[in-house]
Amino acid sequence: MNSSRTDAARRQKFDQLVVVFHADMYRYAAWLCRDKAIAEDVVQEALLRAWKSLDALRDEAAAKHWLLTIVRRENARHFERRRLETVDIDNLTASQSALLAEAPDEQRDELREAIYELEDEYREPLVLQVMMGYSTTEIAALMGLKQGAVLTRLHRARLKLKDKVARDNQAANKQE
Amino acid sequence: MSTANEMMNCEQYRQAVAAEPAFDGGADHVSVCAECQVFRDEMRALDAGIAKALQLELPALTLPELPTIDVQDNDAQDKVVSLASRRSLPKPRWIALAASVMLAAVIGIRMIAGVDNISLADEVLAHLDHDPAALVVSTTPVSDERLIKVVPESMAHMDHSAGLITYAHSCVINGKTVPHLVIQGELGPITILLMPEEKIAAAQTLDGDNVHGVLLPVGNGSIAIIGARDEPLERIEKSVLSSVAWST
Repeated sequence: MNSSRTDAARRQKFDQLVVVFHADMYRYAAWLCRDKAIAEDVVQEALLRAWKSLDALRDEAAAKHWLLTIVRRENARHFERRRLETVDIDNLTASQSALLAEAPDEQRDELREAIYELEDEYREPLVLQVMMGYSTTEIAALMGLKQGAVLTRLHRARLKLKDKVARDNQAANKQE
Repeated sequence: MSTANEMMNCEQYRQAVAAEPAFDGGADHVSVCAECQVFRDEMRALDAGIAKALQLELPALTLPELPTIDVQDNDAQDKVVSLASRRSLPKPRWIALAASVMLAAVIGIRMIAGVDNISLADEVLAHLDHDPAALVVSTTPVSDERLIKVVPESMAHMDHSAGLITYAHSCVINGKTVPHLVIQGELGPITILLMPEEKIAAAQTLDGDNVHGVLLPVGNGSIAIIGARDEPLERIEKSVLSSVAWST
């Protein structure tokens, strides 16, 4: 009796976490691996791992950080030997393209492609800061970097995006 | 645009704003530098665009098949857990009680058998569970004031670069009061004991129930670093060593 009550409470706690954080987990995974299908697999594995380890989570306020850490680890496991790489945006698989192919919005799509093309080391802290609302201290802790390195990466990431957008605009103006 | 009186120059201000567009420092500079005002506004506009671009459409939520969890099943809990879970005692206060008894036993044996019979490594491992609060997955950092109180400048200098420090207490190891710190690793909390007076000849590995770690010689003292069994500690070791300097 006690056991089934405990199981139900455990399941309820898990379901609540999934409802609240599934979107963050998926979007973080998607921007880490840049592939819709792989992101879904990574999230499934992460949810399974979270379920098994749920009793370790005693501080509810840390749930988001905990879940994102699991996603990060599952993604790393998926691409265990992957090196930092750039992606040729003109040569994507269907699943990669699916990540970029939503309702057209020219400005947003240009920026999304530019983010997609950023190297992992720049894209990840940007996603954590802008989408997850992480402070640079929290990003440093999650990525195992010093805060100064995080600041440098964020600074460079934005300058790269700014340059890319400027180049695209220039090219568009020339065509006109 | 910068003048000698200003706290920040253009380059410093732009670096800060590009790293954090919400940065609100450098008011003295930006109020008189039109170019930096433009740059700041561009960065903020860019960030709004980035935020929009990052919002991908979500797939339908499907849960994986969830296995039944046996609360006694340590194996299921070992992989992504706090150190506390490696023992299956259900209530933290029991862990504290058991750890206190164990610690008392270690100290008692030391008193009876002589100090050398219990190694520093054994005492470090026995100390791990003394406080359940030290074993919590957390994102709340301890305050600078707390850190300085536990790691006074007279003992050592430690900055925050080792990682997110979520626990800092003074504890007794081998009869000496030492800082017990916890930083958050990939798999859960990582215990760090700074022992400026415990000189050891060479690094020792620490091996406990589902935990592993290392006791590192540092000058005239040593530092213990212990995490969950699969926790990768090499990076933590490097960052801890570079963030700590004994004062004496």
